[in-house]
Amino acid sequence: MSEEIGHALRPLPNIVHAEDQKPLFKVGDSIKVAMRFPIGHYRVPNYVRGMRGRVEVVIEPRAVNNEDEGFGLNAGVKRHYYRLAIPLTELWPNYTGSPDDGLRIEVFETWLERS
Amino acid sequence: MSQTEDLTRLPLLTRLPTEMGGLDAGPFQRVEHEYLPWEKRCHALANILDTHKIINTEEKRRGIEALGTELVEKLSYYEHWIVAFANILFQKEILTPGELARKMEEVAARYSGETTPSK
Amino acid sequence: MSSQAHGHTPSPEAVDAKPSYYEIMETAVRELLVEKEVIGPGEIRRMLEVMDSRTPALGAKVVARAWVDPEFRTRLLANGRAACEELGIDFFEDTQLIVLENTDKVHNLICCTLCSCYPREIMGLPPDWYKLKPYRARAVKEPRSLLAEFGTIIPEDVEIRVSDSTAMVRFLVLPQRPQGTNNWSEEQLAGLVTRDAMIGVVRVEIPPTNEKSQ
Repeated sequence: MSEEIGHALRPLPNIVHAEDQKPLFKVGDSIKVAMRFPIGHYRVPNYVRGMRGRVEVVIEPRAVNNEDEGFGLNAGVKRHYYRLAIPLTELWPNYTGSPDDGLRIEVFETWLERS
Repeated sequence: MSQTEDLTRLPLLTRLPTEMGGLDAGPFQRVEHEYLPWEKRCHALANILDTHKIINTEEKRRGIEALGTELVEKLSYYEHWIVAFANILFQKEILTPGELARKMEEVAARYSGETTPSK
Repeated sequence: MSSQAHGHTPSPEAVDAKPSYYEIMETAVRELLVEKEVIGPGEIRRMLEVMDSRTPALGAKVVARAWVDPEFRTRLLANGRAACEELGIDFFEDTQLIVLENTDKVHNLICCTLCSCYPREIMGLPPDWYKLKPYRARAVKEPRSLLAEFGTIIPEDVEIRVSDSTAMVRFLVLPQRPQGTNNWSEEQLAGLVTRDAMIGVVRVEIPPTNEKSQ
């Protein structure tokens, strides 16, 4: 009986996932924040633009781009946010604290490139 | 456009006046105040507008950013909010500037006149 | 009247004095929206009640529960929102909560450099200083010297993690339980936990004047 239940719970084969369903990055991946300068509204601070870090958490579930929400777009393509770990020595050339000190920040998938 | 010009003018556009991370700043001061009733009502209004999907939180943030550097610096926290709400409500054609001005006149008259404010 | 750089402290008489231009605007907007039936007449009042029920005391209860109940602590660190909901603390919309555990090796600090994101559902409204320039500018750039101005010295061999809120995730620092509290009740423990400790700018300490709170 339990074997039948086990069968029923296994994912079905041959399902093709929509492009944006699966996260592009996984925990531990090295990424770089895009060097991009939008006007009007953004949720990625200037001080992390172009910076390198690692994915610490893949935030679930997918969500809309909050930058687009700023202009009233409450719906749209949902993608993942990633909690990134970026060393403060990467952000600030003259950082005098511990080299292990770090920033944690959530960034939307469209801002990230593999590094 | 020369590179020097880019460095002085471009950040006015690409760095929003509300963004503070990494800026030079003075010593920390333990500034606190008891929230005034109107400030709490303003915050309650924001929550309700968000719940009703009339002005979501991100629209509010963008509306505050759009006030520009001088207003962001010179108005207080909740003053930003209510002015941003007014602007956004005008843009969404929920209120008109004239309506708001007339109502504000009416409300102000309650305080300067003999009548007790209704709220 | 005030600025993000300089702080805003209205005089004590301000509450009874003639309302400011902006208070008049708030009243006018609210009344117009009710007249037009965009919002209901009792909604603001109800929302104020909800807001008033959210204070740092809630966060302190969450922390104290995590200190005494290891399995709750595990659930809290795995999914902050779900664990708080076990205690009846509901959250707005899609807000998530990541609880950041302080250890002997890691000290966490929370901030919002873009605006004023704060775990309001469990902590209530943030203090002014959290929303002003010195804190927001320096937390991500020089956390150690900033913390020192709070009287908090973090040893060099302890890693500082600064979480800058930018999306739907909010943060709560789970401070370390102070030494010498082994036989304290959950209520006594909650009494030790301050708002500032849950932001991460100070540690939780036993007040010097008494061994046990009431």
